[in-house]
Amino acid sequence: MNKTSSAERISTDLELNLNRLKTAFGPSSDLIFKRISFQGIQAAAVYMDGLIDRQIVHDLLFDSIATLPDDHPNESLIQQLMAQDLSIINVQSLTDLGQVISAVLSGDTVLFLEHYEEALSYETCGGEVRAVTEPSSQIVIRGPKEGFNETLSTNVSLVRRRIRNPDLWLETMKIGSVTHTEVAMMYLNGTAKQEVIGEVRRRLQNINYESILESGYIENLIEEQTYTPFPTMYNTERPDTVAAHILEGRIAVFVNGTPFVLIAPTTFFMFFQSAEDFYHRTDVSSGIRFLRYISLFISMFGPSIYIASITFHQEMIPTPLLLSLASQRESVPFPALVEALIMEVSFEILREAGIRMPRAIGQAVSIVGALVLGQAAVQAGIVSSAMVIVVALTGISSFTTPSFNAALSIRLLRFVVMFCSAFLGFFGIAMFSILLTAHMCGLRSFGEPYLSPLAPLQADELKETFIRRAFKRFKPALLRSSSRKPN
Amino acid sequence: MQGNKQTISSKQLLALMILFEFGTAIVVHIGLESNHATWLSILIAIPGALLLYGIYRYLYLQFPDLIVSSYIRKIVGPFLSWPISLFILAYFIYNGARNLREAGDLLIASVYDETPLFIINATMIFVMIYVLSKGIEVLVRLAQVYLFVILILGVTGILAIVFSGEIEFSNLFPINGGSWLHVLQTAYPSILLFPFGELFAFSTVLPLLNNPKQAGKTGAIAIIFSGLVLSLTHGLQLLVLGDSIYVRSNFTLLTTISVINIADFLQRLDAIVMLSLIICVFFKMSLYSYAVMAIWGDLFRIKSPAKLAAPVGIVVLFMSIFSAWSFPEHTNEGQKASMLMLFLVTVAIPLLLFLVHLAKKSFRYFREVSHNE
Repeated sequence: MNKTSSAERISTDLELNLNRLKTAFGPSSDLIFKRISFQGIQAAAVYMDGLIDRQIVHDLLFDSIATLPDDHPNESLIQQLMAQDLSIINVQSLTDLGQVISAVLSGDTVLFLEHYEEALSYETCGGEVRAVTEPSSQIVIRGPKEGFNETLSTNVSLVRRRIRNPDLWLETMKIGSVTHTEVAMMYLNGTAKQEVIGEVRRRLQNINYESILESGYIENLIEEQTYTPFPTMYNTERPDTVAAHILEGRIAVFVNGTPFVLIAPTTFFMFFQSAEDFYHRTDVSSGIRFLRYISLFISMFGPSIYIASITFHQEMIPTPLLLSLASQRESVPFPALVEALIMEVSFEILREAGIRMPRAIGQAVSIVGALVLGQAAVQAGIVSSAMVIVVALTGISSFTTPSFNAALSIRLLRFVVMFCSAFLGFFGIAMFSILLTAHMCGLRSFGEPYLSPLAPLQADELKETFIRRAFKRFKPALLRSSSRKPN
Repeated sequence: MQGNKQTISSKQLLALMILFEFGTAIVVHIGLESNHATWLSILIAIPGALLLYGIYRYLYLQFPDLIVSSYIRKIVGPFLSWPISLFILAYFIYNGARNLREAGDLLIASVYDETPLFIINATMIFVMIYVLSKGIEVLVRLAQVYLFVILILGVTGILAIVFSGEIEFSNLFPINGGSWLHVLQTAYPSILLFPFGELFAFSTVLPLLNNPKQAGKTGAIAIIFSGLVLSLTHGLQLLVLGDSIYVRSNFTLLTTISVINIADFLQRLDAIVMLSLIICVFFKMSLYSYAVMAIWGDLFRIKSPAKLAAPVGIVVLFMSIFSAWSFPEHTNEGQKASMLMLFLVTVAIPLLLFLVHLAKKSFRYFREVSHNE
């Protein structure tokens, strides 16, 4: 939109410059022009209200600039201003109107001077930001309670505070032809593989999209394969998790305006590790991790195993149990698949409602869920009570996955497996698993095989996937491979 | 990242080889002649299998970049190589189809008595086509994952059998009720050919190995390991079932597992047998189909053999249905015609190639020596 004016140079005429800016921003009333004069020269400061810190701007305009001492008459005013000691505020000289516009939009205050072809931009960004609070999506009992917020600089600093090392490099770029969103990639130079860094950078630069409102946009735009049920990038709002992954040689992608930071390359098993695993004792963590894999299995295959054994493999159920199941199902008019679908779909509806509804009506939904859908449905003969148990167990199991987006995939796939098992029993489940595993074997996340270290097999690292090894013998996987071969 | 030649590591090859060797051999009756001393015959067949694999390895190392049909062309020339390669191709298709048929029939015999064979086979073929169209790299990685699954299933099954208390050691004796000649005859050629000789299909995979020197060791480990496990499995089946049932049963492992009853709770672990059969057969069939794709692509100069996955899969599917009207007919075919073909493909042809190549090489050597003098 600003293409026409962006190439224009700043003119010596102050009024012309200001008018041009007014044309570019249209009727926007939050663009503030503040006229001041000092040393006998007319000047105007331009800034965007709400993006700046008012205190800083006030101090800058009325304490620093207005009182500029006139003790270097040989130097031009611009040089004097640039040389002025402004403690921590960055000063930059701009010559182009396009630069002025983007500076104003990122919260800088731009100072125009009459008779000068240059303008000065002061870094004064501030304004309202959310405080650093406990992350809401990845909760730990033991561990830091800080979470990212929506400001890029805060998020970067939260990681920097954890890794105090000059090798922690940060590359910033603006993405989105309309939104000009700031996106930063952070990595540990020397540990992260060069080709992965290059690949992430290349893909970020190749993004050609209007708007980036959340890191999910970036994730969708740079992941290798669009049509897969599995997430190929990890996201987190925990600075300690990001720090841990950066130390292992991965790359973090920060997006301004969201607390969710992306991490690449990602393997499937990363989604089943919680930051807390590393804060508890080894044996406890390993046990809990094992529990998580079991619940992964249940949340994926629970209802389908029940359907398969009720429909095809009755002989595998011990006879007394089979009799009791049969008597429960006697009054149920539906085949097992329909019964399971009814319960699963209503459970998913409850769950979705639980996320979206206003907090105040939470009680009502839990009563509806527990009493109406549970007990009443059984008494009405719509579903059997065994099915309620299976669905409830499945639902609870899916909450143990520490990463929400991996749990979402499993949730979706569960329905597919249910159909497979209803048509072909265990054979259907087995075939679907092979299909799914093959799909995962073919997936890559920034060149890293998705199922690594299981396939291709790396025995040492595989142990670490299932057992949280003691720190005395622990060295992260990628670190080790990169120190072996510096490629 | 794309366009690179796909390579596989020796560990991945090992996983695929072991699953391939288990194939149907772990579930169906192998080596019918010696009846109950099958486990012994399997052990006796291992040295021969290693020797046979030595020939495959020799041929591979002579032409480390070429698959079987290409080096046949180098050894016997273009005119003879075509019919030989076509014969191998046809046989691989047929054997892939046989595996599929056996899996389908076992599933129908055990659980799916109302499901048409076609549906079951088509499901497996569908998954196979998907995997093969993703390339051999995906297949070998998949093999690594499923080797773990098979090992877990196997250990569970063995533990269940042991704890069920159904093992009767008296079933083992007399170790050989028949004649020792029969045991030997079962080992050579029957068990040597099926399952060990079938490793010849790997001559299309070996050129992808990232370290050719590992080929021999990997194959030897695969043969010894799978031989021991097969022998153990068949020995256990004999211990549980006893001589007469063991000999008469079509799917001995299924019969064995079905007697398990631990505390009236763990009964009928048929699913273990079913799953291991499905998994092993899946990989064996996929490897055969891959071999067909590779040879076909080589013979007809097709640039991307991955596209052949669907046609090959469909041919295998229909052949598995039409090759025999019933399971007894299928078994009968297996014992008579298939064994002869298997002998030709896995022993006669490689041996012939080996001898011709050796003769050509020594001829060339002597000519050079005489030329120099």
